[in-house]
Amino acid sequence: MTTGAADILVREPLLAGPPSPTPGEAEGAALIARSPRALLWRRLRSDRLALASLVFIAVLVVAAIAAPLIVDLAGVPGPTVQNANATDAFGSPLGPSAAHPFGVDQLGRDVFARVVYGTRVSLEVGILGTAIATLIGTVVGLLAGFYGGWLDTLLSRTIDVVLCFPVLLLGLGLGAACGVHGCVKGAIQPGLPTIIAIVALVNWTYIARIVRGRVLSLREQEFVQAARSLGASNARILRVEILPNLLAPLIVYASLLIPQNILLEAALSFLGVGVRPPTASWGQMLAQATPIFNTAWWYMAFPGLALLLTVLAFNLLGDGLQDALNPRQALR
Amino acid sequence: MKSTSIHGSVRAAGAIAALSLALGLAACGSGSQTVTVALKAGESPAGQQLYNKHRGGVLTVYDHEDFEHFDTGESYAGQDYTVLYAISRPLYSYPPNSANKLSPDVAAAAPTISDGGKTLSVNIRPHIYFGPPVNREVTSADVAYAIERGANPNVACPYFQSYFGDVVGAKSANGGPIAGIQTPSKYTIAFHLTKPTASLLYGALSLPLSSAVPPEFVRPLDAHSPTTYGTEYLVATGPYMLKANSKGKFLGIGYEPGKSATLVRNPSWNPHTDFRPAYLDRIEINIGGEPAVIGQQVLKGQDVVQNDNPAQSIVKEAYEHYPTQITFTPGSGTYYASLNNAHGPFKNVNLRKAVWAALNRDALVKVRGGSLTGQPMTHFLYPGVSGYEQAGGAAGPRVDYNEHPEGDMAIATKYVKLAGYPSGKYTGGETVQVVGATGEPEEGMAQITNHALEQLGFKTHLSLVDKSAMYEKYCTVPAQEIDVCPNAGWVRDFADPQTVLYVPFNGHAIEPEGNSNWSQVNDPQINAAMEKAELVVGEPAHAQAWAKIDEMLVQQAVAAPEIFANIAAIEGHGVVGVNQLWNSGAWDYDFTSLK
Amino acid sequence: MTRYILRRVLWGGVLLFVVSALTFVLFDLLPSGDPARLRAGRGASPQAVAHIRHELGLDKPIYTQFYDYVKGIVLHFDLGYSYFSHASVESLIADRLPATVSLAAGAILIWLLVGVSVGIVSAVRRRTLLDRSAMGTALLFISAPEYWLGLLALFLFAADIGKIPVFPGAGSYVALSADPGKWLSSLVLPWLVLAASFAAIYARLLRGSLIEVLGEDYIRTARAKGLSERRVVMRHGVRGAITPLITVLGLDVGTLLGGALLIEVVFDIPGVGRLNYDAITHADFPIVQGTILLAALFIVVANILVDISYAYLDPRVRLR
Repeated sequence: MTTGAADILVREPLLAGPPSPTPGEAEGAALIARSPRALLWRRLRSDRLALASLVFIAVLVVAAIAAPLIVDLAGVPGPTVQNANATDAFGSPLGPSAAHPFGVDQLGRDVFARVVYGTRVSLEVGILGTAIATLIGTVVGLLAGFYGGWLDTLLSRTIDVVLCFPVLLLGLGLGAACGVHGCVKGAIQPGLPTIIAIVALVNWTYIARIVRGRVLSLREQEFVQAARSLGASNARILRVEILPNLLAPLIVYASLLIPQNILLEAALSFLGVGVRPPTASWGQMLAQATPIFNTAWWYMAFPGLALLLTVLAFNLLGDGLQDALNPRQALR
Repeated sequence: MKSTSIHGSVRAAGAIAALSLALGLAACGSGSQTVTVALKAGESPAGQQLYNKHRGGVLTVYDHEDFEHFDTGESYAGQDYTVLYAISRPLYSYPPNSANKLSPDVAAAAPTISDGGKTLSVNIRPHIYFGPPVNREVTSADVAYAIERGANPNVACPYFQSYFGDVVGAKSANGGPIAGIQTPSKYTIAFHLTKPTASLLYGALSLPLSSAVPPEFVRPLDAHSPTTYGTEYLVATGPYMLKANSKGKFLGIGYEPGKSATLVRNPSWNPHTDFRPAYLDRIEINIGGEPAVIGQQVLKGQDVVQNDNPAQSIVKEAYEHYPTQITFTPGSGTYYASLNNAHGPFKNVNLRKAVWAALNRDALVKVRGGSLTGQPMTHFLYPGVSGYEQAGGAAGPRVDYNEHPEGDMAIATKYVKLAGYPSGKYTGGETVQVVGATGEPEEGMAQITNHALEQLGFKTHLSLVDKSAMYEKYCTVPAQEIDVCPNAGWVRDFADPQTVLYVPFNGHAIEPEGNSNWSQVNDPQINAAMEKAELVVGEPAHAQAWAKIDEMLVQQAVAAPEIFANIAAIEGHGVVGVNQLWNSGAWDYDFTSLK
Repeated sequence: MTRYILRRVLWGGVLLFVVSALTFVLFDLLPSGDPARLRAGRGASPQAVAHIRHELGLDKPIYTQFYDYVKGIVLHFDLGYSYFSHASVESLIADRLPATVSLAAGAILIWLLVGVSVGIVSAVRRRTLLDRSAMGTALLFISAPEYWLGLLALFLFAADIGKIPVFPGAGSYVALSADPGKWLSSLVLPWLVLAASFAAIYARLLRGSLIEVLGEDYIRTARAKGLSERRVVMRHGVRGAITPLITVLGLDVGTLLGGALLIEVVFDIPGVGRLNYDAITHADFPIVQGTILLAALFIVVANILVDISYAYLDPRVRLR
């Protein structure tokens, strides 16, 4: 978490090389017709680990959507159902049993149900936050890279400023400030919306920098120059020539940002400024487990494992996508 | 009487009564107490041996929260009191094993009350000295200045108007001399009152504000806003002092905010004028840390105690494995959920009753550590406060919403219907703002309260914020329009039921900022009854009058009761701890010794 | 070169100015607590609060407040005073910095040692079982939340609550000047936990770039000259592959010195991150502002150093 997404920036030169919009020359004419996306998929399919993580992520998505059903099938009470009888005479939560496979927390709530529902928060923040960050970053990067000049200077300097802020400290401050009545006159509600806003705010810069770099070099490519000399408008060049060439790297970087953002949400929730209770979030469960973790190991173990496996799956998928995009590297 | 005070959580200040505990303390200073009781877990610490113990050694104290003030004029929290009553001496104080019977401290004897309760006169002992760097004898003028500076806006003693407001001239005082406080001689101080409330004032002279301070040293510091007395400089009168340099500066020397505090012996303290034995040579306080970890360090440690409440898991472990190292003090105040009587859905008394009925008080007790640490709260005067039995005792008033501590949805639904929601669920639509504190057990208690609200159909926004933010920003500021504060709590200031009910529930006590009446109760009948009860002197009439007010508060369901608290305290195996019964069972550094 | 450095430093100054201005505005717009009330303490009278508001200059317009703040920093290196403890922010930071530096320095040492050696071995033995398990473990550490690893470490090894009590647990930090032995033992667990994910990242990075370098022509030449494989890898390969690591190291050190917040919280180490965290929960704005500025300062300085070292290595950069 400490490095934040800076790791991604460093991977950039390793992975990027010059953009290769025409891999066909190297791989045979048959591939020319294929879109880069199809290519990506084809290569990804041969990566068993990445594929396995993709399946795992699919399961997570299903779990998030069908959480009520799963909890029902498991025969455990819902994630916010409190039960004072599930703790001992001193109020200590009881461990795994037939009734509660992952044990209960201090309020007698079922940890299994809370872990399952926690998937929702993690995925919502991971995917939605990353999507918003990617959108903002792409727009900013496109504008800066394509138009250049004072606009580029302004946007690039803005990025420099945002990158100067310590991510976690900024998130913590914003989360605390928006904690009760929300922010921006209530436009950003406390809890999940605030967290998503924080995630988007601290992450768009990475995407913007990468997109800007790509656009800068794409702009000088022959096929763009050709389109320009044929009289294509800027909007058309952006839409038809440049954007499609950004798609594959965007997918990769977004997939690398998702696990970072899941960790960021968990960290903020761990520090007490994340989603609002009683909503179940893995980070928050870990925070609640902290004062009792030496006696109630299950409360620390299961949410932590869920977090670990989810982030691991997204990281493996990101690695796979990265390799698929850059076959030279994949050969290693 | 007007109040700007805000009392801390249950952990915060005040005195507790000794319930039906056998007190048996000989006259203070006698030093002849020989009763020895081997403490077992769950047993009350009332029988602790106070005198004739081993002298010397260094006690290490763990405290996961920082102090607020060391200034006797500003402090109003039980945690600060643990240090304050070791470094400064008020006119009267409670010996550690009593919460009812005041002993003269700087005063030489009980006060003389005359003029039908409108004049109170105190003689103070000679040969009490200020600590370094002042080192001169304490006089009545020093006590007068100590109290007068409470009205100085740079000091702003939180309870000044509540308990000293009836002194002639106090209402308009701002730090200068107060007409009603006179010092006819070097060793005599007299208070003239506008109302016959001398007995209330007598109790209030046990608060830290009556501890003498040297004006020549303190006055220049009081010119700062806020005063730097108590935050940078301090002069002791008690057996200990915060370690300081030759100018009396302790900040950065005997106290590092957020890290540590060090108490050393006060060389100018005169033991012949004091009932405190002061066995320890030095007290080193570590601030911060995770309660569960601190608890382990204390239970497995030697010359260590924890100053604040042990974590729930530690209570269990101590009870099961270290039973001689934990004490439980009953009658340590209340926890309740304030319900906004002035704004939002809880203006409706039936909705307030519905919350009362729905709240699972058994679960609340459990989340704090089980029945050793408290009982379900049933009314507002708590065990040990006079008037508690008259107001219904443990069971409380016989009203249906009070009868099922485990929470009764059927009765709750009945009241929601009575409030005008025929479905039995609240359908008003607006979101209810609930603000609680982070950290256990507050967090768990807030969630249990929130759960009850949700079951009644309320759409809630539960925010858990740092305890100080909960106090300073939300629950004490009516303009924030917080509907429910589930972590309200109250401990009495001294042995008088008035100190339990007046400030948190009197309409005149509502303030725009720093408000202690979190529920914003402003019922004309209740207000009037309180003004009358204040003037009722003598037992059992006084207690009876306040018990009657307690009943009115229950009828109006002004807040949702949670817990009558007991306080647990833990010590290392090398410590012979003594608990301050009057201060919620906190360890008393003046009487605690090492084996 | 001098001009380049000058330009970078000036820009760094501008960045810090903007960061502090933004922090100022941000926390003015989103107040998490009323400073005057905080300073006054619980139960102060409204008059006292108004008085303090005036004394602190909080009744002035925000640009005047900011001007005063910047003037204080530039002229007297004065970062203001805590609303809570009334102590000066620079003294509080100076007080906490040694703990953060201790934590960072030890962790950096460990992760460089482990990360670099694992990276080299993995690159040389690539696609072997050793490489695969090393890289798998690395990814596991990258994916694990560090505070959870911290809790696990305490659960297993802490002297007070651990199953195998070996090292002092949370809250055992002792300053180096007070007791070097205790300082060392109290930091073992935090160092290891903090270093874990970094070591993993560095190992992966070094492995990647080393593999790339080992495929370059000059390495082939070196091999052809008959140099031992060990010499080829260590002397030529690693030297060429280490550059990206230096970049990341610069940035990571910059970030870490601003406070390893989560580790400091879990192990209860009184560092700068912990100071910021406590200040945020107490809405103690001068400390929040001071610590964010400090963290930004470290990040900016690290960036400048990285840029300069790049410019030094590659003269073309200067012309940009």
